[in-house]
Amino acid sequence: MSENTTTAVAETEQPNIPAITEKDVRKSWFRYYVFAETGISYERLQALGFTYGILPILKKLYPKKEDLAAAMQRHLVFYNTEAVFGAPINGVVISMEEQRAQGKPITDDAITGIKTGLMGPMAGLGDSIDWATMKPLIFALAASLGATGNFIAPFILLLLPLFQIIVGLNLATTGYRQGRSSIQDLLQSGRIKELITGASTLGLFMMGVLSATYISLTTPLSFQFGDDNEPFVVQDILNNLAPGILPLLVVLALYFVLRRKKQNLGLIALSLVVIALLGSLAGIF
Amino acid sequence: MLGVALFAGLWYWFVKTDIGYGITHAIRQPLFVALPIGLMMGDLQQALIIGAAIQILYIGLVAAGSNLPADDALAGLIAIPLALATDLSPALAVAIAVPIGIFGVFIDQLRKTVNIVFVHMADKYAANANTRGIFLTNFVFPTAFQFFLRFPIVFIAVLFGADAVEGVLNALPAWLLNGFSVAGGLLPALGFALVIFVIGRRDLLPWFFIGYFLVAYTSIPVLGAAIFGICIVLLIAGYTRTRNVSAAEASTPPRTTRAALATPTDAPKEVTPNV
Repeated sequence: MSENTTTAVAETEQPNIPAITEKDVRKSWFRYYVFAETGISYERLQALGFTYGILPILKKLYPKKEDLAAAMQRHLVFYNTEAVFGAPINGVVISMEEQRAQGKPITDDAITGIKTGLMGPMAGLGDSIDWATMKPLIFALAASLGATGNFIAPFILLLLPLFQIIVGLNLATTGYRQGRSSIQDLLQSGRIKELITGASTLGLFMMGVLSATYISLTTPLSFQFGDDNEPFVVQDILNNLAPGILPLLVVLALYFVLRRKKQNLGLIALSLVVIALLGSLAGIF
Repeated sequence: MLGVALFAGLWYWFVKTDIGYGITHAIRQPLFVALPIGLMMGDLQQALIIGAAIQILYIGLVAAGSNLPADDALAGLIAIPLALATDLSPALAVAIAVPIGIFGVFIDQLRKTVNIVFVHMADKYAANANTRGIFLTNFVFPTAFQFFLRFPIVFIAVLFGADAVEGVLNALPAWLLNGFSVAGGLLPALGFALVIFVIGRRDLLPWFFIGYFLVAYTSIPVLGAAIFGICIVLLIAGYTRTRNVSAAEASTPPRTTRAALATPTDAPKEVTPNV
């Protein structure tokens, strides 16, 4: 009798899958961070990078060749997010793959669904905090130091990746610990919306600040109506209305151009240069 | 110039692989490359000043959906050595950086198109569980291919550019040079407009105007304005959370006690948010 039960147990035993540690999670995210965009393409953007990042995890979880192949193909789908604030996605997906390898009923669609569902909001969050706020702050600081010829200035730029790596490692671990249900709760409870609103507010505020600081446009135009009258200096009139009107108009104009249909950015930049050249020729700028 | 040209060409190739995400983002900046270039050409201070001036163009540069409106690396790696070699003012250096940075955008577009080939190769590798194939298609092949996109342009421009620049600048009329300077003052606007577009919250747009006129009227430095901005956002977040918590408390039914059952209960008081 006891021999029967022993063999019965042996048949249903799962192969010995090594456990995924939090160190594995951190290493995986960092691997993604380093290689996220080295193979970037219009067709699938960060798909290759994401797959490369999670590959050590997959190799650990799926010793059988067919399972590994399936997992790799599963992750080669289109993926694009902000690598730092998208780190929870890496953590959550790792925990889902781990559960799936342990036999839980987690479908391909569930995993891809989490990636697709989260990559948008996290990119919104990440772009606002990381690129619209932290980058301009750090780079502006570095640039003003550099303008004085201070050789420390270039190294200040490195604060950005430092910040990104610290935040990313933590967020990846958080995503892994919290797992899918917590992240979904977070999404539903509106906390993410709160975060994005806060980040968007800060981002827009900073864009205003930077626009006023770094865009310059003045017009030397002045009209003379008759020899006795004072010249009609356009820039003075504008300044009396409010400071920085012309640069403001430029930003708003470009914003509306982008909203109409987001065209080739290279062409827009080129057009901007052409307009500047023509304006200079005409004496308007 | 050969040493600088070699460095610039190789550096451009290296940083545009995008390896290390934020790391190469930082070290490809004009302000950063000014350091090695300045050291190599024997005028670190001036290199940094020029690098900082060109940097301004690209502070608001965000890869919105991984599309860059300008190439900060190309601009810095070509304009800084040329400006140092021909003794250009920072303003002129910015002027020549502008068209260079725009030209780089088209190189990027080419790269992202060709890489599609490697993604399809990866599909085949994945079907065979060939993990090394992912490394090849994600890094080795794209990087090898990119050498031909990145190195030659910068190498040749820096090696022969110095002689060309002087001749070209002398031949150019004043309005053209002024035009490039004006364009330099305008280009950051594209980056900022792009970020505003990407954030996409039209209901929050007034914040842009608050930030803009705060600086336009007071000339407060960026860091100072940022302090105000961060404090305001934290406060708003705090008030919103308090309001949400109070609203949640108001909607929970009052606890029934024996005393409450015995006496008629009042309707729960409406909690008004006091923000």
